[in-house]
Amino acid sequence: MDTRAWIERFAAVIDDRGAELTELDRRAGDGDYGTNLRSALAKVRANLAADDPRTAGEVFTAVSNAFLHTGGTSGPLFGMWFREFAKGLGDEVSAGSLARAAGEAEATVRRLGGAEVGHKTMVDAMVPAAEALAAAAERGADVETALKEAAAAADAGARSTEALLAKRGRASYVGEHARGVTDPGALTVAWFFEAATK
Amino acid sequence: MAARQLVNDPDDFVREALEGLQRAHPDLVRYHEDPAYVVRARQADKVALVSGGGSGHEPLHTGFVGSGMLDAAVPGAVFASPTAFQIRAAIAAADRGRGVLLIVKNYTGDVLNFRIAAELAADDGIETRTVLVDDDLATDGQEDGAPGRRGTAAVVAVEKICGAAAENGASLDELAALGERIVSSARTLALALEACTQPGQDRPSFDLPDGEIEFGVGIHGEHGVGRRPYAPVRELVGDLTKPLVAALGLDRGDEVIAIVNGLGATHGLELSVVHRELGEFLDGLGVRIGRALVGSYVTALDMRGCSITLLRADDELLALWDAPVRTPALTW
Repeated sequence: MDTRAWIERFAAVIDDRGAELTELDRRAGDGDYGTNLRSALAKVRANLAADDPRTAGEVFTAVSNAFLHTGGTSGPLFGMWFREFAKGLGDEVSAGSLARAAGEAEATVRRLGGAEVGHKTMVDAMVPAAEALAAAAERGADVETALKEAAAAADAGARSTEALLAKRGRASYVGEHARGVTDPGALTVAWFFEAATK
Repeated sequence: MAARQLVNDPDDFVREALEGLQRAHPDLVRYHEDPAYVVRARQADKVALVSGGGSGHEPLHTGFVGSGMLDAAVPGAVFASPTAFQIRAAIAAADRGRGVLLIVKNYTGDVLNFRIAAELAADDGIETRTVLVDDDLATDGQEDGAPGRRGTAAVVAVEKICGAAAENGASLDELAALGERIVSSARTLALALEACTQPGQDRPSFDLPDGEIEFGVGIHGEHGVGRRPYAPVRELVGDLTKPLVAALGLDRGDEVIAIVNGLGATHGLELSVVHRELGEFLDGLGVRIGRALVGSYVTALDMRGCSITLLRADDELLALWDAPVRTPALTW
């Protein structure tokens, strides 16, 4: 599993489709989400170039630091999410280590942000992805299969936010206006796992 | 550039101000530029106190770094939370191995970034406890899951009193409990006669028609909770104080610490009038002002207006309030 290539594909997806996220945030928040995310990923690329990480742990540390240096609310939360991947993944990435890291990561984001599944936030994609990884690891699936299933689960989770009323995050201030709008944070998580499978 | 503020480049505003603070008080504070925080010039062997938040509230918090108060303060950009990395660095710089008390005003960004910094500090092997300051009565009574009351001028009392207890050797757990007790015994209400103007801007953050005041404002230039016609100070102070007395359940014979705070562009002479009226109002209820702090301590840039904070006092809190303090903005 080449995690650096995974992150570079993720950054490329955000380059291509960041404007879609901003449009979702414009409809249900304050419209700066895609811009902040692109700025975080510019820092990710700079960190990868400067640190030249060799292990998955080092790659995700570079990613985490970039997000933690980005402002707003989603920046630090993604920073702490990626940080658990940095802590949990060493030299070798297995379905088991990914499942454990993703489980710790979603728990950290829930604890820090106070959001649960159904609140229309990034957590709505993080939790099903972690559960899919755990289920795949449990039956001994390989990394590629586990990540494919995580991507499908995260995508379904992100799509489920469309019908929800927001309970946390910026969209919670706009009430019914946000119904019918997919949460951009959840979609980012789905794209992250999708980038692993290409 | 509008000629209403002394600003070089708005982007350099906070950094240049912090350099100025260090030049004025080299014996008290040291400014660390990247990541930005202010730490005591001479550190003491005790539990450390760290606070912070957006800039624009000066002298809060950087002006309260020194003996008897904070060990470090973390400034964000104007009205924006510092990053978790900044806070983590300040915690590490302040820690003397006895743990760190984090004093956080209740705003979403501050709460999140301090919470993350506490987790990062735990990974560094540093123990922290957090006191969440939420004293603003204007934002009381929200439903479950809402952000809750804002944190405003009561934070000065938390920093002063917990700072004194820390110098006396209180443990991290004792300081956290003391901080929570102060917060639960203190409430604040504010009014504005004129909104603030961001550095480099030439328009205030909201317009107030002539002859009207904004009631229940916070400290970020946001609208308050109601607008009313201007009235004599006596009447305005009564309107601010009555809800505070009710919320704290103050009664004849009770004693308080009162903070009459200017929001940035209100003269000391006006604040003294406010304090006079507060005294007269409380006299009428038989509530005694045991100690008072009158001046501009928790500001919202150049907002014209004031806040009143009442803290139910007892002998322990009064003794800690009276303990010596030596910081750029508060010394006795």
